[in-house]
Amino acid sequence: MTTEAQVSGYLTRVAAELPGPRRHRARILAELRDGLDHAVAAHTRTGLPSDQAVTAALDEFGSPHTVAEAFAPELAIAYARRTVAVFILTGPLVGIWWLLLLRPDPWRTGALALLLAIPVLPLIVAAALTAATTLATTGRLIRWLPETAPDRAILAVGTVAALVLLGDAGIIAVYAYSGGPLHPLAFLAILASLSRIVCGIVTIRHTIAWRARVRGTNG
Amino acid sequence: MRPELLKGHLDSVLLAVLEGGPRHGYAVIEALRTGSDGAFDLPTGTVYPALHRLERAGLIGSKWQTVGGRQRRSYHLTPAGRAALREQRAVWEQFSAAVTALLTRHTRPATT
Repeated sequence: MTTEAQVSGYLTRVAAELPGPRRHRARILAELRDGLDHAVAAHTRTGLPSDQAVTAALDEFGSPHTVAEAFAPELAIAYARRTVAVFILTGPLVGIWWLLLLRPDPWRTGALALLLAIPVLPLIVAAALTAATTLATTGRLIRWLPETAPDRAILAVGTVAALVLLGDAGIIAVYAYSGGPLHPLAFLAILASLSRIVCGIVTIRHTIAWRARVRGTNG
Repeated sequence: MRPELLKGHLDSVLLAVLEGGPRHGYAVIEALRTGSDGAFDLPTGTVYPALHRLERAGLIGSKWQTVGGRQRRSYHLTPAGRAALREQRAVWEQFSAAVTALLTRHTRPATT
């Protein structure tokens, strides 16, 4: 087997075990490739023939399983941060239609009227707070705030997904039960919520897989 | 040396290795190994995630370059990382002085 084939084979085995966002995985593999090239060069400088230098470099890096396991916590955090950021950024795209559809009349009647008009609001607020806390305790603020461990971050993602799923299902049920007319605004609001319900279900399935992967890791 | 002994201090030693200037990942790992006279001989592939976590915390930054057709990621200390290193160094000096004083003290009979 050639030197290149040995290194490529090793990276393929690491890639097969690496979970997480594709862009992150690609960057990890590029970095490992560069590191392996340096390691092979270093062992070659000690006088080893090229095939033995590659074997020594691969031994030095650790087994593909060990390397993939070592990256799993960081990839879990990357997945958690990206997912909660998507929920935060797309939240207004769903909420705006329901707000326009169900806003209390007259408009400025306070929080209680808003809560009566949109009874799932506490679920959405809880989801937004959980998402914001997860972002804050897994990013640069960990220099000052307690850091959220990867398994907790994944649990938070599942919680956010479950809360918005309940919120969307709840608001559709409330609207259907109230016998509101199905005009274009209602159609848009229901469509937006149904899209997010699908995203929520997919996210919950992903978080179950992630939890099994990173359970007990502390980063 | 058992790898778990290093676990709580890996962040500090990685920051210290980068104090002299930017290095790519493998150079950081080599510096860790040679700087500790081989005592910190962790599987190389497991040190990269620690660098990524430090970057997430804003203590180090990284830049990608293309060298010889290959992508290379180079790490550098940020001002926050430099401040964190100063702080961790002071804590370590105090801690190690206290532990050394206790561990190297000759055994004396306890007074009751």
